[in-house]
Amino acid sequence: MKKFFLLVCAVIFSASFLIAQTKLPPVDKSTMDMSYYPNGYPVSKIQDKPTDPLVARVIYSRPQKSGRTVFGDLLEYGKVWRLGANEATEIEFYQNVKINTTKIKKGRYTMYCIPYADRWTVIINKENDTWGSFKYDIKKDVARMDVPVQKQAEIVEAFTMTFEKAGTGTNLIIAWDDVKVSLPIVF
Amino acid sequence: MIKNKPTLFFVIVLLTALCFNACNTINSNNPEIQKPVFEPSNSYAAVDKSPMDISYYPVDFPARKMSGNDTGSLTARVIYSRPQKNGRAIFGNEPPPKYVQQYGDLWRLGANEASEIEFFKPVSIKGQRISKGRYIIYCIPFEDKWVIVFNTNLFSWGLHPDTAKDIAKIETPVYKSEKTIEHFTMVFQPSATGANLIMAWDNMQAALPISF
Repeated sequence: MKKFFLLVCAVIFSASFLIAQTKLPPVDKSTMDMSYYPNGYPVSKIQDKPTDPLVARVIYSRPQKSGRTVFGDLLEYGKVWRLGANEATEIEFYQNVKINTTKIKKGRYTMYCIPYADRWTVIINKENDTWGSFKYDIKKDVARMDVPVQKQAEIVEAFTMTFEKAGTGTNLIIAWDDVKVSLPIVF
Repeated sequence: MIKNKPTLFFVIVLLTALCFNACNTINSNNPEIQKPVFEPSNSYAAVDKSPMDISYYPVDFPARKMSGNDTGSLTARVIYSRPQKNGRAIFGNEPPPKYVQQYGDLWRLGANEASEIEFFKPVSIKGQRISKGRYIIYCIPFEDKWVIVFNTNLFSWGLHPDTAKDIAKIETPVYKSEKTIEHFTMVFQPSATGANLIMAWDNMQAALPISF
């Protein structure tokens, strides 16, 4: 019994010691965010409001323009871009979907992009839980789609990914600085 | 269709007003559901005031994977939002506005979307088996302990968890921290039997021991 008591004391002591040693992470400069399709799904869910079934969710980080010219300068045309910051951008499908006629099984994927002046090649890749695009492996691609770049009058300061309803499913809107693209996801 | 200009104008005003009202009603049901923002000018999705963050175990798994370091297999990750203290007293024995979080009340361990934890292998926490999979995680804080709850109501908003879907409730002692922690923080740390999930805010912190 005494031994047990000592053990408990040791565990409690080491636990408090370990906590004291923990280096807590600061808040990221490019903060993380999450978008669902249907939009606002989590709120509708707790309010018991009927929505269409859950289809997709994207988790990404939001770098800011901060006065820089983003495309063709900060981001070189023709080079793989991580479509965000920090941890690789992740998209999860809760049902099978189609992108550019490629069938994509429900599940979790990583997204990348190769920007050009007039179009972006958006990439869905199956290597998950990675950082940035430094280890991007083309052999793990599951789908690619070229989408036209659209100029917009309003400057988007923080990189943004959000879904909008479309006739054939949803479009993933990806916007930063003075451009946006729209990736059709069919289901 | 509508050739008469004043009529068209009237219809537009009416539709705009209806739309504005409709948008308002969604949020006015529950003011807590309005997401506070600090970049409202973004017309697609404003940047959250309580930013989201992610923690992995092994610690920094994605970055280490990228640099080719041997990390060991992926065990867990938590996705949560980070509210700030902002000069407020967070934990206490009275309801808001005196304390942000009253002892004994459910606390969402974050902000906005429900905090989500995923185990990539089965784990055990203080003798309770938790299957591999994804859960939402919330807390019932007391002065001397936090009750950490795992729940299966995924993809929900953090307020008012559906307690019928709780699958495990685990008590863990809470400690005073030396420094004030401005942003709510969840992070994994290696331990002798697996990892501790450290949860810290204001002047309080707790460690949930996860064995695997």
